[in-house]
Amino acid sequence: MHLPPLYLDPRVEPLLRSVLQSTDLLHTLVDGLGSPLNLVLPEQIVASVERFRAVYRRHHLSGGIFFAHKANRSSALVRQLAATEAGIEVASLAELQHALGAGFTPDRITATGPKNPEFLWLAARAGAIVNVDSRAELLELVALVGRHGLPRVRVMLRLSAFEAPGVTVLSRPSRFGTPVAEVAGLLEAVERHGDAVELIGVSYHLDTIGLAEKAVALEACVKVMDECRRRGLRPRAIDIGGGFGVDYLADEGQWQRYTSELGNAVLGRRPALTWQGHGYGLRAEAGTLRGTLGLYPAHRPVAAADYLDELLSLPAPSLGRPLATLLLENLYDLHIEPGRALVDQCGVTLAKVLQVRHTSSGECLVRVEGNAGDIGLEARGVLMDPIVVPRTGGRPGPTEPVGVYLVGNLCLEADLITRRMVHLPGAPAPGDLLAFANTAGYAMDFDADHAQQQPIARKVAAYQANGTWRWRLDPQYWPNVPTGEAQ
Amino acid sequence: MRYESITEAIGDTPLVRISPLVHGLKNIDLYAKLEMLNPFGSVKDRAAWSMARPRLDGAVERGDTIVELSSGNTAKALAVIAGMHGLPFRSVTNRMRVPEVKDLLLLLGAQIEELPGQTECLDPTNTDDPLTRIHRMLSEADSGYLHTDQYYSPLNTEAHLTGTGPEILRDLDGRAPDYFIACVGTAGSSTGVASVLRRSNPAIEVVGLVADKSDFIPGIRNIDEVHEVGLFDPDTYDTIDTVTADEAIDGLLVLNRRCGMLAGPTGGGAYHGALRHLRAVDEELTERRTAVFIVCDRIESYLSYVRQRRPELLNQPPRRNSVATLTEAELAAVTSIDVDAARKWIAAEHPLVVDLRGSFAYAALHIEDSINIVDELFEELLHGGLPFGKKQPVLLACPVGEKSVRYAALLTRMGHPDVRSLAGGIIGWRDAGAPLVRD
Repeated sequence: MHLPPLYLDPRVEPLLRSVLQSTDLLHTLVDGLGSPLNLVLPEQIVASVERFRAVYRRHHLSGGIFFAHKANRSSALVRQLAATEAGIEVASLAELQHALGAGFTPDRITATGPKNPEFLWLAARAGAIVNVDSRAELLELVALVGRHGLPRVRVMLRLSAFEAPGVTVLSRPSRFGTPVAEVAGLLEAVERHGDAVELIGVSYHLDTIGLAEKAVALEACVKVMDECRRRGLRPRAIDIGGGFGVDYLADEGQWQRYTSELGNAVLGRRPALTWQGHGYGLRAEAGTLRGTLGLYPAHRPVAAADYLDELLSLPAPSLGRPLATLLLENLYDLHIEPGRALVDQCGVTLAKVLQVRHTSSGECLVRVEGNAGDIGLEARGVLMDPIVVPRTGGRPGPTEPVGVYLVGNLCLEADLITRRMVHLPGAPAPGDLLAFANTAGYAMDFDADHAQQQPIARKVAAYQANGTWRWRLDPQYWPNVPTGEAQ
Repeated sequence: MRYESITEAIGDTPLVRISPLVHGLKNIDLYAKLEMLNPFGSVKDRAAWSMARPRLDGAVERGDTIVELSSGNTAKALAVIAGMHGLPFRSVTNRMRVPEVKDLLLLLGAQIEELPGQTECLDPTNTDDPLTRIHRMLSEADSGYLHTDQYYSPLNTEAHLTGTGPEILRDLDGRAPDYFIACVGTAGSSTGVASVLRRSNPAIEVVGLVADKSDFIPGIRNIDEVHEVGLFDPDTYDTIDTVTADEAIDGLLVLNRRCGMLAGPTGGGAYHGALRHLRAVDEELTERRTAVFIVCDRIESYLSYVRQRRPELLNQPPRRNSVATLTEAELAAVTSIDVDAARKWIAAEHPLVVDLRGSFAYAALHIEDSINIVDELFEELLHGGLPFGKKQPVLLACPVGEKSVRYAALLTRMGHPDVRSLAGGIIGWRDAGAPLVRD
């Protein structure tokens, strides 16, 4: 059976496209610095901040845009961000140190997540906002401030387990935050320890793409803020966390066709699309598709800043006013913590093709210098095709579309960069590069490690000067600093 | 006709001919099976009653809760049936996107649980989705639930094998139609009816309609979702076609306006899909043929769905005194005063201070002696005329001084001589350190 190829072309904006078209530069970099290699584009993150800020302006809102640092470890991106008006959200001691060293003043840093005593101490000492996870953590902070005679620490209270009026909106239970039903005890502790902590607001982060759940949580936060005011506290901001999403794919039709055909393949109605019949969470039972597709919705027409816009335009579930209006007229600032969405289009991962061969059962394996930890798209459930960057010169003419499996450099059966057959417009050859676009959000260095003593990808910051692409190793990049190179 | 119980009125719905002047087919008689005339309003009344009835006695004895994964008509019918038997009903859904349906279910006493959205930080190894957990909970012994299981229960199809299908045959004098067209939701009605008709006329052509994948039509599944339906068997259908939301609305408009059939989007989609299919074959025919499609439910519950997609269909004539008609010049002519000037004016002339924010925000903090008229209510008042005398000076305040300018311009146009807008709004007032009170 000869079926048409099922492409999943990445959505690539002009800046990223421009660097991907600089094929000589890409090959030179990988030849010199090794494969895999990560490229980040600091200019692009400035544009992302502006897109979010435009949504604030549209709704007349003020408040901080805090980059969720965990999405990417790059110094270049964080330093570039420090040169903008944005803030940063750090979730570990090292991330906090990194942010301080990149030029973020403490008033632009918010510390969240599980905290060890050192992290908590540095956050309190420096004067960052501490997003308090529980009453126990609040008391730990209070004790620390008292013991060391530190100034009052600005805190936000992370809340969870919100309840909706009317219709029950189910949410996944979270291991973070204080259930909103227990907020009274938390506020009493805040009042009692007013000499050690200053409440500046409340926060939530829900791991969901569902807008309805977030609307419930945001309205509940407004009500908790009112309770704070009633008690004489003066909170000013609500932090709604991140989860704004990224639209990875260029073509909706490709995504719709691919997911339909994946279901058909699992049901056995077409040849397999995946390694060993892997179903990405789907399975066939008596001719019916069961299970849930465990994939990121890679085509998301409403993502990132547009998603924030849509959330803010929703009516509050019980008070009825649009959420943006509710925040505005209650005089509250809005804080957000986008990670993936802020580094959208900010990077690409390059891997060199080492070998192309066919198995005895006819499957085409493309082995690259790099592994599933380096190229983390699939670990996050994102299905997206790489772009082949051919080695220039000596290239045979256009070839037939092929379906290939991408395998990595670990001596491990499970080291598949994709468990699906990737369709490419032509077969790659050894020496070509595969460019995995848009990996800066969680897919670049989150899972990379030294398994088998393979090197971790180096990171390069690419930027434009006088119409050409320049680069620095990531640790060498500082924004707006004259480099002394020929202009 | 006299009945002992409303459930006896389920079924025996009319089969009504669509006038050729409307559909324009030369060689085909097209009939609509009006399932919307069932007592609770839809084709799902049959399935709900068929699935619940055999287990009701036991459920009443134990006080079980009836549970279904439904976002619409099945939930509605089951809520009524549960209520009639004194049982609670719970609907679990991630598809309830039509607010009227949600409100109606609440009115009928249903409990609704909406499933959480997909996780943003995906863990591909975790396939234990919320739905799977719910199925596990429902299938435990003595769970206290009567799960009707519309997507898998053979009793769903059974209702149409013994009811809908034979009724169509009877009303066509025992001759099965040549074409049968139905939208696929649970696949219960299309499977049951098609099987009866095909037994009588093996040459029948059955068309199943699904929603376009990027679209949403209440009550119809898309081409991927039908594979998740236990009752769905692709062999039931000779053709599977897609319809879009726009086409469904076009179809329901014809049925509503030309045929006197107050059909909802599913019926509209079936009509549109039927006509598209039949037009293609009509020209080639040399003898008369018959076609039947199903009208599932009524339009009234989908007005917000129509308003969202085709607002022009519900167009209202423009209302007088509307902020939408203000010109740039009128806005520029408004007297805006800053916090300092406003405080002096208030002290000197005691203007009426109108706070246009929501009542929740007003109750929390406001300018002393101001009154609260929420902007949407204020707009409504102004449609009728000036809500205060012309001798009464007025200061309007909103969060940032944007809406207040618009209403000040409108009041000026309506003839008020001294209305001013608070520049910078309540936020500016707070930032200037002026007092806000809470009562």
